[in-house]
Amino acid sequence: MLEINDLHRGFGTGSNRIEVLKGIDLKMKRGELVALMGPSGCGKSTLLNIIGGLLAAEKGNIKLEERNYGIKGPSSVVDVRRHKVGWIFQDFHLLEHLTALDNVAMALEISGTPTKEAEKKAKQALIRVGLGDRMTHLPEQLSGGQQQRVAIARAIAGERPLLLADEPTGNLDISTGKDVLQIFKDLCHTDKDPISILMVTHDPELASKADRMLLLKDGVTAASDIREAWGLEGGEEE
Amino acid sequence: MNDEKFFSRMNRKIRDFPSNFRIATLGAWRGRERGLAVIAGVFLASLVITTVLAYGVGLSQLFLAESLETEPFDAKIEFKKAPTYESDGWTNNTTTLMETCDELTLNVEITDCTVILGRQGIHGGGFFNEDFVVAQPLEMRSISSSTNELWNNVSFDYPELENSGPPISSMRGIRLLGPEAFDGELADRLGEQIIFGLGNWSTADEVENNRGVFLPSNIASEAQANVGDELDEVTFAYVIDRKAGGALQGDWDCEGTIDSGDNGYAYCRMNMTLTNLTIMGIYEPWQFGNPTLAPNPIFTTWTALDELDKQKLIDNDHMYLGVTIDRALLPTSSTDAASEWVEDLGMQIESQNYTSQNIELFYFDIIGGTITFLEIFLGLVQAFDYIIMIPIVVLSLSVLIYGLVLSLEQRRREIAIHRVIGATSNGLQGMVLLELAVMSTFAWIAGYVLAIAVVPLVLSSVGFMAFESLENVEVNPVLGLGSTIITAAATLGLALLFGRSRSKEFIELEIEEGVKKVREVSKPKRWLHWLMFIIGAIAATDTWLEMNGSEDGLNSNWFIEGLLGLFGPFLLWIGGALLLGRIGAKGPKIMQLFLGKSPLLKDVKRGLKGSGSTESINRLSVIMLLTLSIVTLAAVQGYTGTLVDEYTASATVGSDLQITTEQPSNFSEVQNILNEVYGEELLISATTITSIALETEDGDSFQTWVILNGTRGVLDWTEQSLPGKNIDTALESYEGLTFSAGESAAYILDIWGSGRKGGDDRGDELLSSSDIRSENLTFTWTDIDFDFSGIDEEIENETTPEFGFEQLQFLLESYSESMEIDLSNLDLQNADLSNRDLSGVDFSGTNLSGANLSNSTLTNSLFGDTNLDNVNFKDSNLSNAIIFNSIGPNFILNSDFTNANLEGSFGLFNLSFSDLTNATCPNGAVTNTSSCDELMIEPSIETLPPSFTELLFTDASFSFEVMTTEYNQSLRYIGVHEFIPGIPTTTMADTLVIGETSWRALVGDDTANNFSANTWIIKIDTVQGEELEAFRANLDADSRISSAMDWSSKHSEVERSGGLIFGTQGLLSLQFVVASIAAVASAFVFLSLVLNQRKRELAVLQAIGASPNQIIRLVLFEILSIVVVSMFLGILLGMALALSFNGLFSVFGFIFGIFGGSETIIDRNLVWPWFELALVSLTVFVAVVVALLSTTRKALKSDLSTVLKGE
Repeated sequence: MLEINDLHRGFGTGSNRIEVLKGIDLKMKRGELVALMGPSGCGKSTLLNIIGGLLAAEKGNIKLEERNYGIKGPSSVVDVRRHKVGWIFQDFHLLEHLTALDNVAMALEISGTPTKEAEKKAKQALIRVGLGDRMTHLPEQLSGGQQQRVAIARAIAGERPLLLADEPTGNLDISTGKDVLQIFKDLCHTDKDPISILMVTHDPELASKADRMLLLKDGVTAASDIREAWGLEGGEEE
Repeated sequence: MNDEKFFSRMNRKIRDFPSNFRIATLGAWRGRERGLAVIAGVFLASLVITTVLAYGVGLSQLFLAESLETEPFDAKIEFKKAPTYESDGWTNNTTTLMETCDELTLNVEITDCTVILGRQGIHGGGFFNEDFVVAQPLEMRSISSSTNELWNNVSFDYPELENSGPPISSMRGIRLLGPEAFDGELADRLGEQIIFGLGNWSTADEVENNRGVFLPSNIASEAQANVGDELDEVTFAYVIDRKAGGALQGDWDCEGTIDSGDNGYAYCRMNMTLTNLTIMGIYEPWQFGNPTLAPNPIFTTWTALDELDKQKLIDNDHMYLGVTIDRALLPTSSTDAASEWVEDLGMQIESQNYTSQNIELFYFDIIGGTITFLEIFLGLVQAFDYIIMIPIVVLSLSVLIYGLVLSLEQRRREIAIHRVIGATSNGLQGMVLLELAVMSTFAWIAGYVLAIAVVPLVLSSVGFMAFESLENVEVNPVLGLGSTIITAAATLGLALLFGRSRSKEFIELEIEEGVKKVREVSKPKRWLHWLMFIIGAIAATDTWLEMNGSEDGLNSNWFIEGLLGLFGPFLLWIGGALLLGRIGAKGPKIMQLFLGKSPLLKDVKRGLKGSGSTESINRLSVIMLLTLSIVTLAAVQGYTGTLVDEYTASATVGSDLQITTEQPSNFSEVQNILNEVYGEELLISATTITSIALETEDGDSFQTWVILNGTRGVLDWTEQSLPGKNIDTALESYEGLTFSAGESAAYILDIWGSGRKGGDDRGDELLSSSDIRSENLTFTWTDIDFDFSGIDEEIENETTPEFGFEQLQFLLESYSESMEIDLSNLDLQNADLSNRDLSGVDFSGTNLSGANLSNSTLTNSLFGDTNLDNVNFKDSNLSNAIIFNSIGPNFILNSDFTNANLEGSFGLFNLSFSDLTNATCPNGAVTNTSSCDELMIEPSIETLPPSFTELLFTDASFSFEVMTTEYNQSLRYIGVHEFIPGIPTTTMADTLVIGETSWRALVGDDTANNFSANTWIIKIDTVQGEELEAFRANLDADSRISSAMDWSSKHSEVERSGGLIFGTQGLLSLQFVVASIAAVASAFVFLSLVLNQRKRELAVLQAIGASPNQIIRLVLFEILSIVVVSMFLGILLGMALALSFNGLFSVFGFIFGIFGGSETIIDRNLVWPWFELALVSLTVFVAVVVALLSTTRKALKSDLSTVLKGE
């Protein structure tokens, strides 16, 4: 479903130049929950931003469900952000003056879904993440976990095949974090339209719950499954 | 120990300053986006406050410069002591005196100097000192010319002097100038007044060779003299001795003639005569200014005197050095500083001796007195001008404070984070403040410099947004140190104080709260906003009601009225802006009602939910409201003022030119005079407005003005003048047998329009014939004709040596018999005899009580035993009239002598029970109160009026009969008039106006066709502006014309002192420009701030799939909605504000009416300059769109991943 080949990206110029990604190769299957780990500054977020169409790579290619991109700038990959990738951020990034429902519906509407259908889908998504009773609340009236669930609802409502989660539990307590991960698992491991999630995290506990753990080191994927490297059980479920 | 600590701390601070400063500058530069608001705020505030203060300085300079134009000499430098042969330090050698002048001009301050023979030395004291009134000018006595006998009749009495300063002399003076007066600065200043085409201020050689003389135009006009005319003799008098006490002293051994002045001194004067002079120029008289030198003298050169005569004059102290100083060097920060400077200059000049003769000088300053005089009036003008600048100052300060809040708000997190990493409170505050100081200082200097550069332009305004270069006036408004500190304190100081308290607040916040992105905002005091708004609205409503005919508006208490007038506008403005700001912030919601369904918004509409709730959006709206309302206010009031000034000039002059001829003239005669004076054929149209007396069937008599046909193209009509809103239809209505009435006349006639029956009983309406309010009234015109049946017997008159009361009575009887018109022993009670020539009429025994004699000529008339109680003598000419009762003085009760001329009137009467405002008393003095001295003249043949004597000694007298014929005519009433252009407006309310048809129907075609008049109103399209002013001056100097006024001069006069207060137009223009700039700039600044705050939101939207196009649409719609709605509301608020400012203008108009003596006759009907407002709104709109596009694009280009990371 997602195939990344030889992705390069650096920052700065001249002597200040840092090569962050030095040729990433990565594959993900549909319904896979992948945890991306690595030391700070190794390029996890950069990789995520490139996949999510917020940043252009300098070299390489991304193929996501037949859509090829990677070195195209953010404004050329609006369609990717609209239909292929859903984002979940560490600090939620909800629109503060909109209710939970509006936050979700807004994302659908700007992607071209008619209002009525958008609202219907938004409601379904919110119910799916367990916020059926909080639809008219403003973000500031919701707890951190609830806000993150609104963000998840926003990301999944558009039936995007891939979710990118940048430290999704970073601002949450442990139990809420677990809840969020459970939702992720549910989303990936459902029979009907499973989605894939690529999640950046520093939390080994959380990462261990993923289907696969990727380690990013020195700008390349050091291991495509850390658990294998660590000699743990499990691995790919499919 | 403590000291040590302190010093080490200071030491450290000083040591660290350069690096701290560098860091702060760098920080300011990096944070320039958020600093933009601070910079804009401080810049604007600095610009405005500096302008207001510098304007004050410039205003006083301009005022000073204009006032100084009344006297070309800046100082009179005399001998230190009056010359006597026993004392030294003086000389009567003109060569030495000229050398003294040369030495004086070595001072940089002194630009020109000449030796003048003229007024005596004052030698001490100041303006109000007795010395000042003692020194006498060279008084003119006579001019004779073998080719022009009219010179024999020219009087050199100058009675106006008595009213324009201390009682020095009431004769016209003569100044004999040295050669230096005919070149350089002095020649420039003196030559400026020479009327174009009437000679010029020639070179010293020419003047010496021709023995040239320069005359004021009124003297030349009186003698019908022209340039090139030869004068055989010019005689003047100089003082050889004086004695205090004033009374004529018998034992005084005086070689010349003794006279006593009003100053309490008696003078012994000798005559001196210049011969064979040539008129080389005729000049337009200066206005009366500083009385140090006799104003508007005859100028000639002392080279026309022989050495002995010169010495005589110098010996008698008639010498001074007339100097000009470099006026540009005068300090202008305050009038005090100017006085001080002049004083220093004087001391410097007096501190040394001059030439080898050791001449000692005394410096008598002329400018200083002018300065003192100006201070009071200027204070008033400045107070008013400062008050109308309050809104713009408040606006600029609110931009400053809002800008600061927004910019500091963005640093809240940064401050909190710095605290987390261990920065101290003081260090943090220092960091913020230093950065703030760097930005504010930069902005303050920029604003300050720009303001100083802009002020001369503002001062040169001659109307709203109309500027004319300041001619001959050097304005160099520089602020003094004190004022500069004020501007710094009000801008920089405020920014720093505010920044300090805000940053302190942040520092004292809980760290956690500081890091949080949302902060609780304290609730604004809505009740206060409402209270302000309601009071302001009451004031506006009150003004509106008063402008639309209500007598008192909502309230009749003058004190509350005054308070409302003063504060109402400001409360309305601020309260209104704060309240309407909330509506403005809801702009997106309002605009969605119109555009919500359109494809423009379909996919982004949801994003607008809840917008406008943020504080920054609300502020954007408030700022837009504040600025746009000021733009509207300034434009409306500015244009209104400009039009009011123009209308006032038009209403006073009537058209381009108004002339009064010496002899009644008809159109072609007037045209000839104009052509001759102008020197070529002029295309003119002219009209005259005559008046007749009409009487109603009830016996009420009215002065009735006649509008002749064809005045449409001649007179500058305004809609306000005639009934109804349309001049053409109104004039058409006058072409029938119709009349209109002034408000008071309508009251007396008991017809619609006076308002006596309440609100509906008045209005500016043209009544049609079918209107029931249009009544038909019958008027009577009485034709008075005189039948001269023949010559009576001769009367023998002998001058009896014992001339007493009995002889006088005898003479009076003879006099009455000799009079041309006999209206004696008639009952003319309440008769209307206004505007008539009744000179030489015998009113003996007639009852004139209650009669209207206003504007009539009553010269030489006889009022023997005449009842003159309650008579209206306004503007009448009673000169040389004889008022006498056979049984004792005639106590004239309750009569109105306003502006009347009683000069030379003679007899036994008491005026103290009557109104004598501005009347000329029998002794020639103009009085402002009812204070003509009770007059009781010992009859003697010398004091008889000349006409009396003349008639007595002629050998013929006339007898005649008065024949009166009455003509009746029914006229239809068409409404209430306000005024006719060119006719004094003061009495218009009591008069009627008819058209030519009605006039002809009453007076008959014969009278109408042979009609001639003295006053003509003329339209000349080809001569305008300065050329027109010059033409008017030429006409004024022409002997056939007694007075002339032109639109251009009148307009300047009105602009400077009349309709609006001095300089207001300039300030309104400034307000308009600054508020427009503020609107555009604050839109720009606030938008970038608002968008900066929303950068993250826009990034999130992009992350969830919004395209750049969608983002732009969303932002554009949201912000533009707010801006458009706020602008619309701002204009509405500005209109209400303009209305309510009318109240303020009337309060000040009233005050100025009292102090300045000028009044506006034109109603201040507001003009709505829609085009200009639309232009500004459009500019703001375009600026906002540009700002939005550029800032949004920038936001779109920013690195999404970085923004989302929150870095």
